[in-house]
Parts: sequence; C-alpha cells; structure tokens
Amino acid sequence: MVKSEPQPSRGVFAARVRSNRRLCDEHYLLRLEVGTDFPLTQAGQFVQVQCAPVNGAEGPIVHEWGEKGPPPQFQSPELVESQVLLRRPFSLAGREEIGGRTVLDIIHRVVGRGSARLAALAEGQTVSLLGPLGNAFTWDADTKLAVLVGGGVGLPPMLYLAERLHQAGKPALAYAGVTSANLLPLSLDAAVPASKAGWPSLCVREFARWGVQTTISTDDGSLGYTGRISQALFDWIDQGRIVAAGTIVYTCGPERMMRAVAEGCLARGFACQVAMERKMACGMGACQSCVCKTRAQNPLGWQYSLVCTDGTVFDARQILWE
Amino acid sequence: MIDLSVDLAGVKLANPLMTASGTCGYAQEYGSYVDLRQLGAFITKSITVRPRLGNPPGRVVETRAGMLNAIGLANVGLEAFLKEKVPLLEDLALPVFVNVAGTTIEDYLAVIEALAEVKVVRGVELNVSCPNVKEGGITFGVDPVQIEHITRRAKERCGKNILIVKLSPNVADIAITARAAIAAGADALSLVNTFTAMAIDVETARPLLANNTGGLSGPAIHPIAVYMVHRVYTQAARAAKVPIIAMGGIQHWRDAVEFLLAGATGLAIGTALFVDPACLLAIRDGIADYLRRQGHESLDPIIGSLTLNTAS
Repeated sequence: MVKSEPQPSRGVFAARVRSNRRLCDEHYLLRLEVGTDFPLTQAGQFVQVQCAPVNGAEGPIVHEWGEKGPPPQFQSPELVESQVLLRRPFSLAGREEIGGRTVLDIIHRVVGRGSARLAALAEGQTVSLLGPLGNAFTWDADTKLAVLVGGGVGLPPMLYLAERLHQAGKPALAYAGVTSANLLPLSLDAAVPASKAGWPSLCVREFARWGVQTTISTDDGSLGYTGRISQALFDWIDQGRIVAAGTIVYTCGPERMMRAVAEGCLARGFACQVAMERKMACGMGACQSCVCKTRAQNPLGWQYSLVCTDGTVFDARQILWE
Repeated sequence: MIDLSVDLAGVKLANPLMTASGTCGYAQEYGSYVDLRQLGAFITKSITVRPRLGNPPGRVVETRAGMLNAIGLANVGLEAFLKEKVPLLEDLALPVFVNVAGTTIEDYLAVIEALAEVKVVRGVELNVSCPNVKEGGITFGVDPVQIEHITRRAKERCGKNILIVKLSPNVADIAITARAAIAAGADALSLVNTFTAMAIDVETARPLLANNTGGLSGPAIHPIAVYMVHRVYTQAARAAKVPIIAMGGIQHWRDAVEFLLAGATGLAIGTALFVDPACLLAIRDGIADYLRRQGHESLDPIIGSLTLNTAS
C-alpha cells in the first residue's frame, strides 16, 4: 500500500459554485469556492459532493407557489428520477487560492442522476462537500521522471498531480487517452498539434502550464495517436525514450486501461501507482462498499482493501485485477 | 431543561440516538465528522466468530430515495474485534451494543459468550435478519420457531448484557416474529433491518449488485418501518414492556419523532450517516426542540402516544 502523510483534518464544508463550464460533450469543470481554512489536500485525494444545491433552511425544499405565477408543474417523471440521496466521489483536479478564497476544481462526466444534477449547478449556488478523503500519489527524492497516464474521466487527478510535481521540481510527461476527440476534457493549443505518432508535445494547455508535454490518443483516431493510451506509452518506452530507473508511472481511468498500463509497466520494471475507482456510499471507511482485491500475507493470498481509505492510490503490485 | 434520556431495558441512555449496525464501522471512521460521545449508544457492525471478507464488488447501488447494499457481513472477526476495536469503543464512554451474526447457533453463542466478559459492551444485538448472506441469519429470522430457539439460547449466554433481537421486515407479519422473540426472553427489539431488493442494469440485463440481491435502506423504507414499529408496539411490545429500537430511513428529526410516536424508545440512524455523520446531532437537537414546542420536558409523554383516526 502506498503510504501518504496523515490527514490534518477533514469535514463537511459548504462550497459556493464559482463556475460550471462544459469542457466537451460529456465533461464539466466545476469550480467550487471554500474558505481558506479548507484542509490541506494532495493530488489523488477526492471529495464527496452532495449533488444538489443546499437549501438554507432545515427541512425539505418547499416550492413557493406565491401569487406571482402558476403552481409548479409536476408533469414529468424525471422530477422524481432526479432526486439524489448519496454523495458522489470526485477526484480533485486542482486547487488554487483566488482573492482570499480557496478554489477546488472538479471535472466530472455526466453519467447518471448525480452528475446530471452537478452539471445543472449555477454560479452562486451552494453545495455540500465532504473531505478531503483518501490517500495521495507519492514520489521520493530519487524520482527523476513522472509519467501521468489518464484515461477519460481519470484525467482530472492527473492535472492536480502535474501541478504538485511541478512545485516539487519533478519533470513529468502526460498521456491522455479518450475514445474520441469530442470527449477530451482538456483544451488544445491551436499552435501545437497533437502528434499522430505519439510524440509528446505541449499540445494540452492544462499540462503545458506546468511544463508537461502530452501525448494524446483516441480509439477512433480523431485526434493524436490512434489506439490505446497504454500502447502509446509502451511504444515510447520500447523505443528507449524512457528508462525504468527513477521513473514512476501514475495511472487513473477505466479499469481495463489501468490494468494494461499497470501490467505493462511492471513487466518492463517500471514503478507504477494506480488510482482505483469504485462505487461508494460514504467515502469514510464505514460502509465497506468500495472494495478491491489486493495481495495479502494470509492463507488466501488476498484481501479486500477499501478504495476510499486504503486508496484510492495503490502500488500497482498490490492490485489483483479481476 | 429538556431531558432526552431513555431507559432501554435497564441500560440508561443520555438520548435515544444510536448508530445503525453496519453503517458506522467500529466508531473511529467518523471520528473527524461527528462527536459520537454525544449519542445515546453505539451499535457496532456485525461481528462473526471468524473474520469475513464479504461479497465481491459492486456492493452498493443507489436507487430512488434509497440504496441497496450487499456487503456480506465483512468484519474483522471476534478475536480482532476484542483486541483492536474494543479499546477504541471504550474511548467513546457510551453503552455499546454489539451486533452479532453467524451461520450456526454455535457461532452466535461463541461471540455472545465472549462479549459477556467485555465491560464496555452493554448489549448484544442478535442479527437474525441479514438478507445478504445465504446462511447468515435470515434463515433464522423469518421463522418464528427458529427465532424463539436462537433467542432462548442466546439469552442464556448473555450474562450481564441485554439481548436485543433485530427483526427482519421480510416477513408477512412482523408481529409474529416479534412475539416469538419476546416469548424467548428478548430484552429489546430492533426493527427493521433492510428489505430484500434488486436493481437491474437495463443495458446489460444483469443485476447491478454482484450478489444479485441486496438490502434496501434509506428514506424509501421509512413509512413501512413506521408502520412495522407501530404494529410491533401495539401487538406485542407494549404489553410485554419490551422497548423498541426503531430504524429505517431516518434523515430528519420529523422521521425520528414519527418512530417515537409509533412506540419506539431508541432510534438508530444508518444510511443518512453516509451523507452526513453530523445529522445525528441535528436530529437529536430537532427532537429536543419538538418536545419544547409541545410543552414536554422528556420523551416519556410522546413515546407510543400516537392517536389513531377513528373515522370510517
């Protein structure tokens, strides 16, 4: 298991929506303002967001009929469909201090009721945040190069990681894989085309900001390298462009992609950390929902680890893929 | 001054609020979110004789106004519980009720006997109603004859601890299983456990839970749980003077007060803790405000004070 520094504090915070911007066909960048007393955070950590604006008063939301207009129309079953009970976990994509406030970035993909609600949040509304949760990506004094491999909705924590590595003076390369160009939740620099051959360049603004060159891959060839992002990485490695000594590969994304990255890295002698994703109810280690199989010194040879508190970041050697 | 204290079969609680088993781990998980010492009692996750890994993921899925879980009684086992978790529970300085599960009567009895020696533990909550483990309790929990048998055997080994029997709602008439538990010596009843349920992914035509079925909890079940508490209170528990710990979808103080009016002495919060552990204290304070507004100084006048409509 990857060790990270003990958490100074965590809690439930009211966050003001600073902006909520559509990045591509499915992803939104939600910028949330909290007080500067928000606990320290690290790349790889996540927050649990209540996917509904907080009602100021205690009790159920009351629809005011008033004298101004007609009563609300409850004609649509989607109204019931949109009710959300549990929080949804999101990795931090960045943290910035702006005008005496702390701004937390969350990039989310609309996949269901919860994220659809988040996508509808407007500037000035308030949401409840619980966190920060989970451990973090780690590196050490001997780390000479970090390789950040993100797939689709697994890209956001890589942006935060790029920033933290930059601050730590660690050089990094990014690999961003999506199924098609219209699902890339990142902004391209028009002057720097993404290489079809998979060569890293400063083509992605969010990474270029931290001096990080990026290789983009799409499954359908609509942008950058055609094929799996793991293959783009291994092409580069197998050309001898990156050596295992002093390099750590970090990965987050769909499980099949992470598995390909992790297994390929370990086979080539590279250190690798994976940020696992699971459905979870609490995020605090209580509900025991978000388990993944990890190696253990017991008769079975494995155990279930909690993604929320033992992870989300694990050493790739620990994971038993299913 | 509002006095929220209750007497639960001889165990004095500062207030009726507890954590529902399985939603609060072993207490330290929520440490930085809520001061659990302000509760009335703490109910642990299920403990079995041997550690259990639990079911494969996905173990949880949100449904409309609720969630399904199929954790599968994942727990550290009796030995680790006594060694590692009991010292943490001692720090709470609260009465602790330990939820006990098993696959055979002997399994249950081994845990119950060991707990009789643990000072901080004041009661055993007999889990005869877990819907997520084939052999795990539910087979006892739906048959009144088996409930009576296991309750009687458990009561013999409880020692200083009170025996709380946690009833399943997956029965035709919960008053029948309640009467069986009371007849066999249960000191208190807790109800309801989750409802067996299923959610299907229409794209893959497969259940969303790896276990196929799970237990439904959350606000969706609250009105059914209120009815069941009312039924058990009026048909069995009131006459026998056996207190009820009510649970099922409490999110707000009004949900809690409904249970008190229906006859509950204790209140356990579960699913809502996943959203905000501090709701425990908001609910406690909401109940106190309610009593104040109603002109009461304690819970006694409202417990079971529901007046049924007589019209029709």
